Amino acid sequence: MAACLRAEVPKELLDSFSGSGMVTMRVVLLLLTAMLGSRVCFAEQPAPPRPASFAREIVSILTKQGCNSSSCHGGVKGRGGLKLSLDGLDPREDYKWIVQGGTYQVLSPEALPPITPRVSLQEPENSLLLRKPAMQVVHGGGEIFTPESPDYAAILEWVRGGAAYGEDVQKTLQGIEPSSREIVLGPGHTHSLRVVARFAGGRREDVTREVRYESLDSTVATVEPSGVLKALQKGETAVILRWLGQFAHVRIGVTDQEPASDAELPRNNFIDDHVFARLRRFRIRPSELSSDHEFVRRVCLDLAGTLPPPDRVREFLASKDPKKREKVVEALLNSPEYVEFWSLRFADLFRVRGEYGWILPFWEWVRRNVATDKPYHQVAREAIAVQGYGGASHKYQFGINKPPPIEQMVNETIRVFMGRRLDCAQCHNHPFDRWTQNQYWGLGAFFGRMTNTGWAFDNAVFDDPNGHEVDYVENDPTLRFRPVAHPRTKQPLAAMFMDGTALPEDRRDDPRLALANWVVSHPYFAEAAVNRIWGYFFGRGIVDPVDDFRVVNPPTHPELLAALARDFEQHGYSLKQLMRRIVNSRAYQLSSQTHELNRHDRTNYSHALPRPLEAAVLLDAISQVTGVPEVFDKNPAGKRAIQLRFPAGASFLSVFGRPARDAVPDPGGQLNLRQAMHMLAGTTFNAKLSNEAGRLHRLLQSGASDRQLVEEFYLAALSRFPTEREWAGLQKIFAERPRREAAEDLVWALITAREFAENH
Amino acid sequence: MSRNDANRAAAAWSRRDILRVGSLSFFGLDLSRYLRLQHLMADTGSAPRGKAQAAILLWLNGGPSHVDTWDPKRNSSFKPIATNVPGIRISELLPRVARHMDKLSLIRSMHTLENNHGIAHHYAMTGHRPNPAMKFPSLGSIISKELGARLSVPPYVMVPDGNWFGEHFRAHMLGASYDPMEIPDPSAKNFKIPDLRLPDSISVERLQQRRAMAGLVDALYREQMHSAEHASLDVFQQQALEMILSPAVREAFDLSKETEQLKDAYGRNTVGQSALIARRLVEAGSRFVTVVDRNRPESGDWDSHANNDKRHRDVLVPVLDQVLSTLLADLEQRGLLSSTIVIAMGEFGRTPDINPNGGRDHWPQCWSLALGGGGIRGGTIVGESDERGAYVKDRMVTIGDLFATLYKALGIDWHREYMHPIGRPLKIANSLDDKTGQPIQELV
Repeated sequence: MAACLRAEVPKELLDSFSGSGMVTMRVVLLLLTAMLGSRVCFAEQPAPPRPASFAREIVSILTKQGCNSSSCHGGVKGRGGLKLSLDGLDPREDYKWIVQGGTYQVLSPEALPPITPRVSLQEPENSLLLRKPAMQVVHGGGEIFTPESPDYAAILEWVRGGAAYGEDVQKTLQGIEPSSREIVLGPGHTHSLRVVARFAGGRREDVTREVRYESLDSTVATVEPSGVLKALQKGETAVILRWLGQFAHVRIGVTDQEPASDAELPRNNFIDDHVFARLRRFRIRPSELSSDHEFVRRVCLDLAGTLPPPDRVREFLASKDPKKREKVVEALLNSPEYVEFWSLRFADLFRVRGEYGWILPFWEWVRRNVATDKPYHQVAREAIAVQGYGGASHKYQFGINKPPPIEQMVNETIRVFMGRRLDCAQCHNHPFDRWTQNQYWGLGAFFGRMTNTGWAFDNAVFDDPNGHEVDYVENDPTLRFRPVAHPRTKQPLAAMFMDGTALPEDRRDDPRLALANWVVSHPYFAEAAVNRIWGYFFGRGIVDPVDDFRVVNPPTHPELLAALARDFEQHGYSLKQLMRRIVNSRAYQLSSQTHELNRHDRTNYSHALPRPLEAAVLLDAISQVTGVPEVFDKNPAGKRAIQLRFPAGASFLSVFGRPARDAVPDPGGQLNLRQAMHMLAGTTFNAKLSNEAGRLHRLLQSGASDRQLVEEFYLAALSRFPTEREWAGLQKIFAERPRREAAEDLVWALITAREFAENH
Repeated sequence: MSRNDANRAAAAWSRRDILRVGSLSFFGLDLSRYLRLQHLMADTGSAPRGKAQAAILLWLNGGPSHVDTWDPKRNSSFKPIATNVPGIRISELLPRVARHMDKLSLIRSMHTLENNHGIAHHYAMTGHRPNPAMKFPSLGSIISKELGARLSVPPYVMVPDGNWFGEHFRAHMLGASYDPMEIPDPSAKNFKIPDLRLPDSISVERLQQRRAMAGLVDALYREQMHSAEHASLDVFQQQALEMILSPAVREAFDLSKETEQLKDAYGRNTVGQSALIARRLVEAGSRFVTVVDRNRPESGDWDSHANNDKRHRDVLVPVLDQVLSTLLADLEQRGLLSSTIVIAMGEFGRTPDINPNGGRDHWPQCWSLALGGGGIRGGTIVGESDERGAYVKDRMVTIGDLFATLYKALGIDWHREYMHPIGRPLKIANSLDDKTGQPIQELV
């Protein structure tokens, strides 16, 4: 892409237009220059000299040079006693530490001595702020600049001028914008990035040289401090831009492919529009549509956690109905297995755990939500704001008669419903994202009066005007309730939303309801919800991990995410409808088979990604293939693993990584030694094979031929017929060995195969 | 992959190829002899760095009363008795241990932070307070990982099982390979380890045929979906096979190899037989074995909120006395004491004052534990409590210090920090105020 030309539009000319007149005149200017065939940046002349302000000039240098990054003075404890706010988020604090001096403490607002200013007004050149980065005294960060450099000169100038705080530029700064949000180029090529800052009142300024650039993967592309991007090798990454507490990112694709000249791909819905457009821009060719047997197995597992029985597979493969895929989707969405499977997943997410008596109302609430497709914003509201007994109130069970600690409630609520991990901000400002400790505890205050009462199975949660019930202290009931204090400043907490607005006085009777309403109407809510559901179907969220939205973890498809969120809101936050959209898209239905040109793509949905089956689904699948159900402790016979209310009663489930529900589930399922042992010697993979009640025994008795037997098991386990090559190999083995043994080994081989244990 | 794993994997590939060829007598050996040879020749992984090679933890669940055991005081109903170390006196409830005091040291100034079960378990086993943002690896998992497995024997074992608090003994971010292998109660009649023995109808040869069939069935998929995960399954299956086939591993779990006298000496109960199997496991190559003492008949565990004296005198302490003294003598007799650390502790101590139910409640502010073996000096008292055993009077010891002491004896650098996946460094010997614990110089 060509760098845009800078038209010299004098600042005075632009400034002379105020209000709506300005907009019109800008449009005229734009049209004029467009007609001239050049592209204009609204770059202003270099600003006329004005006094350097701390918040602009100095913080800009501190950010660009990395002084306030998380690995240096912006880290949790700072460095060498100097603490700066991460990425310049709090310039007033930074000013204080520099101009007053002192050593920072994490857990107290008090500064430790020596309290020596880091700037010297009497002898400006002796300021630590200059001597350290110039390595004139020992500096752990090394030499950042020389005394001849412009940065040194700028700082010296500022100190000479009195080291004033100056203009509070962050009050008017609204954001920074790169000239392109996405750049695709070939290896070895370069591109000059341009970044413009937007201020209140419409003012814009080119800040390309002041911005800090960071490539998330410097093996793919690097960026110079001047903003020149250099592509190194094929791949994909993003460049993070930082300036005065504002962030932006540019997605970079490096490819040596020619732009595609293929005909337009068929599309099923708006998801395909976004996915295929990006594949085209990044010059990645998608795989073919999945075959029928790939599709039917995948969609049954994804919507219902259950393998399609052989007869269904045969039926589906044989059907000539052009709408058969949509019909299968509808059948699955309305099946009892759908309710069971998604109740399981939401029980994992909301952590339905405890003794059976306790958890029944909670579990039933989860199941009812799924069965009635309760709008998700209503689910969230109930989960956050619940009072009294029953339903979601058991979410707040933590040991006997105790609500969870405030930190846990903040972490979990924000992570589950807004996709952000505030966690680290409970003790200090977040080390690598923009959350502050004040924001964290402002949200914590909404939970500041929670307590519960009653006894084990009969537990009511409510907000107590006395305050929050803290840890049970033996023999001292007076210590049980106290108002919640900020851990660093020790001040009592005031409930405050994330953007800093305080909870209004008249809403303070039911703080959790106010919080719930705020959460569900916040833009983060819908995007976090759709992202999580998306992650289930594609093996990866548009932001991944699905509840880890961060400045340095930008979405791969921001417009798709926004479109999904909007569609979700417009359809009343129906999860079923969202799932319907997803599985009916062509993008979801692409084959998992790759070709040379898209084998390495893992983030653009050019093909389906294989994902391991969850423990409960895997166990049910084994039971279904062998025809021998599992018997679970304290449960009636015939119960399947996905129907279990609580992970228990089968060692298989814990060995294969079923979430214990003591924390928000992480994607697990990594293979380990215990699983391998179980596969070789354990009961699940042995006792079920030759059980007289099972499928194998029945087939052996029925007089089926070898081929029929093999086909039946292939269909049951893999939803496909064996290939000719596979059949040739198997036929030979069946000829050489006793039939029963060969057949048992075949079933064993199928249920331990990766093709079986993965959804692809 | 550790060097040991790499070696084993390399050996495994060649063995696998041999078996595929179908000729077990390639070297003129049958399979079991071949494996036995492998076992004898196998290196012990990373070269021993500390004197200690393993540890046995007697986990006294519920928290024993320290004034009634290791730190006798006037506010205990029980009297102190002399031991075989002049100057050291312990409760009269531990007469047998008293005769082995030269092998054991006592820390009487333990100071920990949590006073409720669960969170106190977590704190005692990880050194960190529970944090909703992250899960911490336990002491046993860290030791297993740092030292590595030996001779195909599971490095970390828990017997009989972790019950509801087992999650605090796990590896979490270190990976499931360092989770404890939980085995059932060895004193039970039908004691058998699940997954460690092929079903009777499946011979080794049959198993190999199965695996060959699996190779055929999964070939197409594996070819199309190259993945590191698939390769790692092969490695795990090979390790599992070695473990299942290895006579040494099977024998390690086989109590029938012990004399009846020795089984009697340990005591025919859960704790006794679990400690005996722990000794066998350590002898066979395990690194960290936790014996869980939580389910005494009629008494549950050490959490004596009521009838403290009766429970300690009649049920709880006598078994500890018998098991610990026998274990120390047994280890010494076999020449294992100098390479095996023994620790006896719970998650906290108990209140210096008796409550209205005749019991003692939780008390983390000052309590005691016992440790010895593995190069840790015995017959030493570390720290001092006040006259009631309520607060630390001298030389406070934190969990971080305890961990650092164990790590030093085992040759592990106690300053190490792991990077948790969320991006936060965590100390393996975490003391108070975000400092690293220090090894107790009086002991190691």
